[in-house]
Amino acid sequence: METDVILSVEGLVASFDTEAGRIRAVDDVGFRVRKGKTLGIVGESGCGKSVTALSIMRLLPKPSGVIEEGAVRLEDMDLLTLAREEMYHVRGKRIAMIFQEPMTALNPVHKIGKQMDEVFRIHFPEMANGQIREQTLSLFDRVGIADPGRRIHEYPHQISGGMRQRVMIAMALAGKPDVLIADEPTTALDVTIQAQILDLIRNLQDETGMAVIFITHDLGVIAQVCDDVVVMYAGKIAEKAGVQDLFHHPAHPYTKGLLLSIPRLDGPRKKKLNVISGMVPSLYELPQGCRFENRCPYAMAVCKSAYPKATRMNQGHTVCCYLYPRGH
Amino acid sequence: MAVYFFRRFLLIIPTFLGITIMVFVITRFVPGGPIERMIAQAQQMQSMPGGTGPMSAQDGRNQPLSEEQIEELKKYYGFDKPVMASYGLWLGKVLSGDLGVSTRYYDPVWEMIRERIPISLYFGFISMVMVYGVCIPLGIAKAVKHKTHFDNLSSIIVFIGYAIPGWVVGVLLLVLFASHWEVFPLGGMISDNFDSLGLFGKIKDLVRHTVLPVIAYVAGSFTVMTFLMKNTLMDNLSSDYVRTAMAKGLPFRKAVFRHALRNSLIPIATNFGHNISIILTGSFLIEKVFNINGMGLLGYESIVERDYPVVMGILVISSILLLIGNILSDICVAVVDPRVRFE
Ligand SMILES: Nc1ncnc2c1ncn2[C@@H]1O[C@H](COP(=O)(O)OP(=O)(O)O)[C@@H](O)[C@H]1O
Ligand SMILES: [Mg+2]
Repeated sequence: METDVILSVEGLVASFDTEAGRIRAVDDVGFRVRKGKTLGIVGESGCGKSVTALSIMRLLPKPSGVIEEGAVRLEDMDLLTLAREEMYHVRGKRIAMIFQEPMTALNPVHKIGKQMDEVFRIHFPEMANGQIREQTLSLFDRVGIADPGRRIHEYPHQISGGMRQRVMIAMALAGKPDVLIADEPTTALDVTIQAQILDLIRNLQDETGMAVIFITHDLGVIAQVCDDVVVMYAGKIAEKAGVQDLFHHPAHPYTKGLLLSIPRLDGPRKKKLNVISGMVPSLYELPQGCRFENRCPYAMAVCKSAYPKATRMNQGHTVCCYLYPRGH
Repeated sequence: MAVYFFRRFLLIIPTFLGITIMVFVITRFVPGGPIERMIAQAQQMQSMPGGTGPMSAQDGRNQPLSEEQIEELKKYYGFDKPVMASYGLWLGKVLSGDLGVSTRYYDPVWEMIRERIPISLYFGFISMVMVYGVCIPLGIAKAVKHKTHFDNLSSIIVFIGYAIPGWVVGVLLLVLFASHWEVFPLGGMISDNFDSLGLFGKIKDLVRHTVLPVIAYVAGSFTVMTFLMKNTLMDNLSSDYVRTAMAKGLPFRKAVFRHALRNSLIPIATNFGHNISIILTGSFLIEKVFNINGMGLLGYESIVERDYPVVMGILVISSILLLIGNILSDICVAVVDPRVRFE
């Protein structure tokens, strides 16, 4: 493994057992997260971003969610074969996660100070109570929570959504993780708060040198925070590239469509935004071939045959599309 | 918060008036009231063998009481005035602590009720402890072990308890454990030789008389409370904040007890007041089966016998218990849920 890779996901297949049968929410997904860098996962809602993240943490809803295949390697340790007890030392300590809904992610009946202290109690059992409180207060201060001494005595319903997300971030930082997974951390927030939270995550990353997996459906956010990008579509990877490459030389028709659908300030006003027409295939009736085929302007006969294998465009840029013959 | 509870206490007054007025009015218009009973009794006396001979039902002569006598009786029971006027009189007496006199036994109502209260409290308290003491842990175990053999088997047992009415459970228990195997006594509160027993013997005797009725009391409530506990806990286990707790590195078991459990107790606490009043006022059928002289049985008999002062007296006591129980529930909910602050 390359030395600068902290976390790698290989051939991940995650499924759910539903009333109507087993569905594959994530199919053969793989990527590498570099130390201290930010990997973005982008794709429309339902494409399997959260399932990928939860699989890394081994927190898929039980008993319906199962990881069928694949490996998740944190440095040299395969998390998927780890004993359950050992996983407790990974979660919150080596890999931390923050979620989309700050409104429901905190326990409504515990004070936020207590919920924060808990991380220290789990991972640093030798710390004294006073020390823990001190750390909690200083972390709250660091994530921009004003008047932390008063805040620790408040319940989640007493503070705003942005504030709660800051609490979540503080809790995630408490274990000094190597990797932070942020699953749409700003989607539920106002635009101004969004920008603040993005700034905060970026600054903290600079300070701590942690790697970040940043999940979003918003390419604008990707452009602001990511080094590498994975584009997902209907449970599959469509394209992987460095952020510059992706924005300047998108290869996959889906990526191109997404980029065209971002409003631009420098374009003509009132220009109609590009819309990718058609529907994402249902996970219950997935096509044999490329999953984007029914919406793709470049669809060819071969696209219906099987999901295209990855073609390497250049260093760190691969795409799964028949437009780009392999060995290119 | 204090203001809220003060208001709640004040609200007891109109609610109490509403309940009692309604029942009071009903007692006026339901046929077979105390006057009619007197007349019927007197008729019976007349038609007894050795009386005035075969009745001639057609003419008015079979009316055993004269108009004046009936008026007298009506006056005695307060039936001569308009409903609201006599309600006012009744209420005035109740407020001064006088619940009236039973029309059946001529005993003061308060004394009749007072005799039964300790019995009802005894069974009520034990039943509550049993229901909460068993249902909460059982519900937790079932939620954590959802769809295992343990969960399925306990569901079957609990549902059987729900499907069979409490008094049938009582009869079955008596037939099996008191009559067939003779492990437990056939009913009553204490044995005949209770007074001659030592302290330990007395306790043992009381316990032996308590086991079967308590099972009959709680068999039905088990189901509701167990499944309430199980289902709310399951909901909470799949909630975001439990996922957050696990993402922090908390083992599943600790996430259940530290995070999901307290949230799951909120609906249980909401039910608390309701359970208090039901259990305290008892179930007359179970009391009848086990020959226990509790409030339930007294209430039932007094309704059948149209002993209205007793009916109203029990109503007064049980509606006050219900209203206080509801306030207790509110307090319980406020204790477990910080979002509830009753401003
Ligand atoms: N608990 C679940 N049970 C069944 N299917 C699920 C569950 N969670 C997610 N899925 C399926 O997995 C797919 C991917 O979901 P998700 O990863 O949450 O999407 P997103 O990319 O918006 O985060 C969804 O389309 C959904 O059908
Ligand atoms: Mg998601």
